[in-house]
Amino acid sequence: MIKKIILLSILFMSLSGFTTRTGNDKILPYPILQHQMSNGLNIVTVPYDSPGIVAFYIIVRAGSRNEVEAGVTGFAHFFEHMMFRGTDKYPKDKYEDILKSIGASANANTSLDRTVFHMVGDASKLELMFEIESDRFQNLHYSEHDFKVEAGAVKGEYTKNYAEPLEQLDESICDVAFDKHTYKHTTMGFFKDIVDMPNQYEYSLKFYKRFYRPEYCTVVAVGDVTQDKVNALAEKYFWKWERGNYVADIPVEPTQQETRYTHIKNGDTPPYISLNFKGPAFSDNSVENPALDIISSVYFSQRSELYKKLVLNEKKLRYIRCGQSNNHDPNLISVDASVKKKDDMQYIKDEVMKTLEMIKSTPVDEKILNEAKSNIKYSIAMRLDNPGAIANSLAAYLAVSENPEAINNYYAMFDKVTAEDIMNVAKKYFLTTGLTIGTVSADEDVAVK
Amino acid sequence: MKSLLSIIISIFVISQICFSQEVIELKNSASNKVIIRLMFRNGSISDPAGKEGLTDITASMIGSGGSTEYTYSQIQDMLYPMAASYGASVDKEVTTFYFQVPAVFLNDFYSIVKGVFLTPAFAESDFERIKSNQQNYVDQVIRASSDEEYSKKALEDFLFRGTRYQHMTAGKSDGVKAITLDDVKNHYKNYFTKNNLLIGIAGNYTDDFLNTLKSDLQKLPDTKPVLPGKIIPSEPKGINVEIIEKEGSFGSAIFMGFPMDITRSNDEFAALMVANSYLGEHRKSYGVLYNKLRETRSMNYGDYSYIEWYPAGGGNMLPPSGAPRSTNYFSMWIRPVQIAKQLKAQYSELSGINIGHAHFAIRMAIRELDNLVTNGMTKKAFEDTRQFLQSYIKLYIQRPSDQLGYLMDANFYGRKDYIADMEKLLAKLTLNDVNKAIKKYWQIKNMDITIVTDVTEAEPLAKSLQENLPSPMTYSNLVKSGQPKDVLAEDDVVANYKLNINSVKIVKNEDTFK
Repeated sequence: MIKKIILLSILFMSLSGFTTRTGNDKILPYPILQHQMSNGLNIVTVPYDSPGIVAFYIIVRAGSRNEVEAGVTGFAHFFEHMMFRGTDKYPKDKYEDILKSIGASANANTSLDRTVFHMVGDASKLELMFEIESDRFQNLHYSEHDFKVEAGAVKGEYTKNYAEPLEQLDESICDVAFDKHTYKHTTMGFFKDIVDMPNQYEYSLKFYKRFYRPEYCTVVAVGDVTQDKVNALAEKYFWKWERGNYVADIPVEPTQQETRYTHIKNGDTPPYISLNFKGPAFSDNSVENPALDIISSVYFSQRSELYKKLVLNEKKLRYIRCGQSNNHDPNLISVDASVKKKDDMQYIKDEVMKTLEMIKSTPVDEKILNEAKSNIKYSIAMRLDNPGAIANSLAAYLAVSENPEAINNYYAMFDKVTAEDIMNVAKKYFLTTGLTIGTVSADEDVAVK
Repeated sequence: MKSLLSIIISIFVISQICFSQEVIELKNSASNKVIIRLMFRNGSISDPAGKEGLTDITASMIGSGGSTEYTYSQIQDMLYPMAASYGASVDKEVTTFYFQVPAVFLNDFYSIVKGVFLTPAFAESDFERIKSNQQNYVDQVIRASSDEEYSKKALEDFLFRGTRYQHMTAGKSDGVKAITLDDVKNHYKNYFTKNNLLIGIAGNYTDDFLNTLKSDLQKLPDTKPVLPGKIIPSEPKGINVEIIEKEGSFGSAIFMGFPMDITRSNDEFAALMVANSYLGEHRKSYGVLYNKLRETRSMNYGDYSYIEWYPAGGGNMLPPSGAPRSTNYFSMWIRPVQIAKQLKAQYSELSGINIGHAHFAIRMAIRELDNLVTNGMTKKAFEDTRQFLQSYIKLYIQRPSDQLGYLMDANFYGRKDYIADMEKLLAKLTLNDVNKAIKKYWQIKNMDITIVTDVTEAEPLAKSLQENLPSPMTYSNLVKSGQPKDVLAEDDVVANYKLNINSVKIVKNEDTFK
């Protein structure tokens, strides 16, 4: 407990003065203790004052980005489902009995670059967590029938998502914005591939052998644990796990040459416009991603002049927001707006484009720049108040970097961002030639030019 | 090892020292932030007839409006470097304002935001913006976003028809239209008062700060709010179904339930908690419903049951705080199942079907409930489920904000600490207690069901339900060929399981929530 208090005070001393400092204090004020096993599996322990509770996460650096073959999009996500179908030692029912006995909140999720298996529960059951998780990561065994049945649940997931017009728009924007790269499909996959999933049993075995390997994974334990104990359990349960050798050949996306458009006709939902620019890949040693985060915050958050104009004063929007997705490979930077009247969509687009042009040529006010940095850092510092939140934050960066210190490196870069950097990234990425516009409205076709 | 729960119990206090308001405190000098919650005993049940949505708009005028000192825009500017935030949440019987700020900025933050609840501006411009957003929500967003959330809100509308619990907290279309700025000002004066307030505070604050907060809150209106008595819904007679038909729906989203006269105040709630967890623990793969519908038959993404309102079930993995209610109901959530139009397009062997899986899924869920009411839980199922819950409920309060929220909700139910109480009650619970509670509170004859589905599915589904027609499970050949005989045999029984149907009605998408 004493250690935590000291660390927290260091964080706040550093944050409260960080706009002028040049130090290297870390956003995560707890030690990140690493142990690299000989088979390539990285074990990360973050002791944290949460009596009796541990967050136990396994991050697999394989997501829909790795789905390079035609006809099997959505497989990383489908495979996440299959990981709950049992092993010879712990068939599904037994696995669930054990999970239930742990009393943990356990689940998994998949996105573009990674699949995360997580449980938060009783720290005294840590060995049991290691045992059942190591078993399914090394010895998963399901029947072809179970495989076919689980495919129906994936279709069910798609079915519930599809009710939302914005999910349909997202799917369409990815498809239109990308020609070659696997970010062309969403993590759910193309619907025709989802319908065909029951026929892909053999491929599923191949998928497991390719990606459920130690070199693709990081084990994270946060909470009431010690590094010695975590490392000893990792060695006991994962030492036999053999390294693989598969590396997906991810196609490189050719440079986009002109603005692209997509539209969903739906007059029952509020009109919507989404402007998507090709952006940079994630890096924890470049100012580009932090500069884009600052642009999102300064020019599109509730603090921004544009928000005040379009949402508060003119009341033409329900909301506006901007964000980049910080992925392994270059992905989209999106400005999204929920519009009240469809006839205002062109005006909204023009106002957003005007703002983006202004960012390229007008240096951001130094005071606002520093306020944005403060906002971003305090926001994350306040979120890190329990083992699950800390493990989740680590997982987000471990998805795109094998280095668990990437989160600290990333936030350290914010200190370096200058007004000139902001103009430079705007000039580099907010290009009409790299733009894909998506709209939802009652119109037959794209509602803006 | 000292349990998390015992630590929590040791540090929270309820004080009533200087002023009449009760304060729930969770002081933690190691925390980097301060969380404040102001919970008013006043929710959408206080909306006047014809002005449904008034509490929500009033709360938004405080949570997203300015004060007499600063405009909303100025407040946003000042709070921006602090990353401090505040907002409002309205449920049926309480309205809660949330504040979160890094501890180092507490005093600056407080001097800026205290005006929003003590001297709100109620500016015409804020009102126009907030009202038009809310109109947008009740007219469009609820119908066009998640079919699951839509069917859930529609079920509440159905179960509580004719009572103050019926309308969504956001209101009704005509109700929102009729609300004026004067209504908001009067509602604030009458219902956001120092006499119906519970203060909660957690994190790294000083006694001086808390005294200032308490003293300032004495300046809230001194009106004695007139709150409606407990809402008593009429019991459904037979099974009544409303099918909401939507253009272009991909599946059938289903909610079903019946009123249940028990809340967290009652010790029997622990027994129902075990039964419910066994039947359909939220977002867990252990429940009977999940096992039968999703895992064995791959009908959808998940199937769960509830013994109280569960906000935003699609996003929350653990039950959030902030929505205590004195009127309660049991429900089952069947996530969207396939419709005939989709199945026919996907599998040629299903080209002859005229309904999808909704009727079968409803039958299966009700039959499982029937089995549980008739047979009760087994000793093993009881022990396993109780053991699970004894650990699991501690996870409800991992974050300081949840811990504080659960304590404040406990206060609503007349308890000091709901989680601690449940732990004690679970420890002494017997199988007989659980099976007795199941028989006392659950039944399968009388309930309401709402289904949001495609226009092509509505008519044939309505006919099938109304006439209790057989509804055989329609698998693709790929899945059917591998289904074990016992599963197929059970399918036959389910397909012909008779429901106590009283009425089936098709409602047009635009006619809901009238």
